[in-house]
Amino acid sequence: MPAEVKQEQSPSNATSLAMMQEPQEVVEETVTIEEDPGTPTSHVSVVTSDDGTTRRTETKDVSANVKVTKMVKTVTTRTVRQVPLGPDGLPLPEGTSPLGSYTDSIDRRYMKNGSDRFITPQATSTLTRSYNNSYNDSYGETPESQYIRHYGLHDGYADLTDNYGSLSRGVNFRPPRYPYMPNSYRPENSYTLPIRKDDYGHVAQPQVPMGSSTVDLNRSQPERFQPEPYGLEDDRRSLGPEDEEPYELEPDYSTANRRTLPGPNRGRTHREPLRDMHRVRGYPDDPIEAELIEERHPYIHGMYSAPLAQPERGSMASLDRMGGRRSPSIDSIRKDPRWRDPDLPEVIAMLGHPIDPVKSNAAAYLQHLCYENDKIKKDVRQLKGIPVLVGLLDHPKSEVHRKACGALRNISYGKDNENKVAIKNCDGIPALIRLLRKTNDMEVRELITGTLWNLSSYESLKMVIINHGLQTMTNEVIIPHSGWEHEPNEDSKPRDAEWTTVFKNTSGCLRNVSSDGAEARRRLRECEGLVDALLHALQSAVGKKDMDNKSVENCVCIMRNLSYHVHKEVPGAEKFQDPSALQAPGSAGPQRKKKDDAGCFGGKKAKEEWFNQGRKSGDNDKNYDTLDLPKRTEPSKGFELLYQPEVVRLYLSLLTESQNYNTLEAAAGALQNLSAGQWTWSNYIRATVRKEKGLPILVELLRSDSDKVVRAVAIALRNLSIDRRNKDLIGSYAMRDLVSNLPSGQQRPAKNLEEDTVVAILNTIHEIVTDSSENARSLIQAQAIEKLVAINRTSQSARETKAASHVLQTVWSYKELRNALTKDGWNKSHFQPAVTVTPKATKNGKPGYDDTTLPLMEKNQGPRKCGSGDMIPMDELCPDGYSTIDQRDKDCKYKTDDGSADPTEREPLKNDTNRKHYIRSNRPAVSLVDACDVKPQPVDSWV
Amino acid sequence: MSFVPGQPVTAVVQRIEIQKLRQGDKLILGFSIGGGIDQDPGQNPFSEDKTDKGIYVTRISPGGPADVANLRMGDKIMQVNGWDMTMVTHDQARKKLTKQKEDVVRLLITRKSLEETVRLQLKSMLS
Repeated sequence: MPAEVKQEQSPSNATSLAMMQEPQEVVEETVTIEEDPGTPTSHVSVVTSDDGTTRRTETKDVSANVKVTKMVKTVTTRTVRQVPLGPDGLPLPEGTSPLGSYTDSIDRRYMKNGSDRFITPQATSTLTRSYNNSYNDSYGETPESQYIRHYGLHDGYADLTDNYGSLSRGVNFRPPRYPYMPNSYRPENSYTLPIRKDDYGHVAQPQVPMGSSTVDLNRSQPERFQPEPYGLEDDRRSLGPEDEEPYELEPDYSTANRRTLPGPNRGRTHREPLRDMHRVRGYPDDPIEAELIEERHPYIHGMYSAPLAQPERGSMASLDRMGGRRSPSIDSIRKDPRWRDPDLPEVIAMLGHPIDPVKSNAAAYLQHLCYENDKIKKDVRQLKGIPVLVGLLDHPKSEVHRKACGALRNISYGKDNENKVAIKNCDGIPALIRLLRKTNDMEVRELITGTLWNLSSYESLKMVIINHGLQTMTNEVIIPHSGWEHEPNEDSKPRDAEWTTVFKNTSGCLRNVSSDGAEARRRLRECEGLVDALLHALQSAVGKKDMDNKSVENCVCIMRNLSYHVHKEVPGAEKFQDPSALQAPGSAGPQRKKKDDAGCFGGKKAKEEWFNQGRKSGDNDKNYDTLDLPKRTEPSKGFELLYQPEVVRLYLSLLTESQNYNTLEAAAGALQNLSAGQWTWSNYIRATVRKEKGLPILVELLRSDSDKVVRAVAIALRNLSIDRRNKDLIGSYAMRDLVSNLPSGQQRPAKNLEEDTVVAILNTIHEIVTDSSENARSLIQAQAIEKLVAINRTSQSARETKAASHVLQTVWSYKELRNALTKDGWNKSHFQPAVTVTPKATKNGKPGYDDTTLPLMEKNQGPRKCGSGDMIPMDELCPDGYSTIDQRDKDCKYKTDDGSADPTEREPLKNDTNRKHYIRSNRPAVSLVDACDVKPQPVDSWV
Repeated sequence: MSFVPGQPVTAVVQRIEIQKLRQGDKLILGFSIGGGIDQDPGQNPFSEDKTDKGIYVTRISPGGPADVANLRMGDKIMQVNGWDMTMVTHDQARKKLTKQKEDVVRLLITRKSLEETVRLQLKSMLS
């Protein structure tokens, strides 16, 4: 059973991330190995994503093919959500111009024809990733990846080599364990074996109500090791904590069964197995069972021995591996050929047996049989076993509905969506939800939510789950486990979230369903208490510094998904559409920036006051600085919380503290979503990110090893730069890190980022340098031209080429920079499209050009563009000596236009008037922080 | 370089001796400093630890005495002629550097590249 759950469980991987990271190579090995056993491991893929870029790549290659189309789709959806920007900002009409071409390149992935120009580049990029399998890796890392992996597992099981690849990854996790493998039965098995051992150990614990962590481990592991060990694990599960003996016995069972069922042998014996089952599971409460139990001990050995006679080969091996415990039974098994396992129809028939223990044992056995065995799952479905199991969910005896639920969880796991549909078709989803409401048994709740998680991975079931279960899952699981309370009493202390398995499963399920489009988002947003509870849980995670687990990842992913298109979809959003945005988009007016020069640490405001008094732009600035939020009469709640500026701090904390790449990516994606669009709230969000010193945090993440994190951050920066001041700051401080992510010449950078990521970065750079010759100069100083030209000329990727070419054209369009460029040995030909580009683009009126090329930009921004003329000549800003220095140094220095020549001492702290002298053009990479008036100006004194 | 207040600081340091240059009636060193405990450390672009209120070299005049002595932008000044510079105000640091009766200053500085070099060496030694 655990295996099934595992899809969701991927979090466990996260926990072990640290370990995983080390051996990328190992991972590869694992992949090969996996092929042999035919074990599908979703885990592996997950791991890969968590670990780092490298792994991903591997994973991707392997797993991408494997994954089922359906799965892919799921992924896509999520991705889409992530990318909110596109639609808003893009001017449809402009699409024709250079922009159009741009868009095409971006969109390609998404739509091969490039027909969608409407989609903003950002959006496109995000979408694309998820959409295309090849892209899965990067995006896949995110929530979707998990699904993909899951599928992959099944596939792998079925027979795909690729899947194996994914499995291997999981294996990698455990490299240390290999040594444990005692048996050399089969080389392939040996690999699996160690795993089993681990699982086994875990399993033993899980049955007893153990810490959730243990449980997770079990689950996750089982998936990886699909082969025989799984069966064992399942058995254990079904047995439950109660009896040890039965437990051991069952494993044998399972093995035996496996062999038998598929094979021709089935028929041989009678139904001894049934008895065994009863005995094994006997329940003290039940009189019948009690009788059975009494019998069982004497029988046990016999029974076991019976099935064992046949199963020698693989199963035996697995047993041995498990350890000494089983050996006795194994021996007996081999000797005693009398018993046979029930065949599948018999087991299904037993589900309807009048004696409850028979039912529960049959269900448990079914669970075991189905474990990692798609064929059996299908057979169960075709034999109409699923409706019977669903019917048992309403059985009053906990053992019965527990086992039935366990069987359903295994059946629902896997790429075969027909099993999921079959569960739905017999009203399994409402039945599960009913049971969830009814039971207080933690194990049952875990099974239910695990099943729902599995079901939620299939696109067409998402809405069904929402319809039947959303409010129940929220009320029964999310809210209580999050620690959030509707109306806190005075005496009640705020509670922390509990990261239980149930919570993890449920949040995983909601994460899946939250990707099902606008309607699903609406339902979730409007689900009472859901957003509040998720936020509370995340805040609690931040407070406890416990941010790397799967539950947190799920919660952040839900938040990210729900934040997608808030500016369009939220009730009453029209009221917040920022009319001023149309005129003076995102940030302050066009003019002010030139003079103020965003990069400065301090002084901006002073300057503005100096220079911009009475200007409209000045007013805008003021708004942003004071964050003039709409007044609220009552505290915001529900979906409103999604886009309140307060959430920015939460996401930034996650971005600062979490080690989980999926969480990082989702948090960056949430900021990306929130900062898209033109409504009032996105303005606040963009300004708040700056005020909360979020820009340096994001820029820092550009150095992440994780491809997807880099990509999400790059796109977020692009959206944030809709705010003029952010654009200036980002141009000043992020350029170096953006550029360092670009491939240089022949050799790619150490990171070896994917095409998607490179394109995303190029688009972000384009956005930043558009309408800002200052930023274009920063770009030049960051030695980017060489890289851009190289990409433009030699990249294998047409999309990269196109994106680089757009940046180059924009740079060349700043006439005031041409001198510097020429000095560096560049000429016009370097800035022209390598193949076919409209040279005119460079010369065209900027407004039109900008709009078209940059998807992110708002049309409104038109006015700004003309601004280049306003810009202060670069020369003024930077004395050459300094500028060169800056470029080289990773840490920039304070720049001053005073020039080094000025030996005068400045009086520290008294700089207000002098601000403009300080720190000008070159911005230290480190501090993106927007200088606020409040802060003392940085002082430096010549000595 | 990060440190815990109250604990000894471990840092890779370099000694730099700068011969002041007479310019008019002033002796100059040819660099500028930033930072100090009365300054906002968050605006210091050179520090890794954004709470570090140390004194940093912010600019170097090309060809000046500091440049000649191999002082570099971004260097953190730990001591000036033996005086601690990690817990001083900006102005105190400036005054220590600009004493007109001294024509040589001896600095103890640390810079990231030094630390990295040492770390790499240690690594290679250990491996």
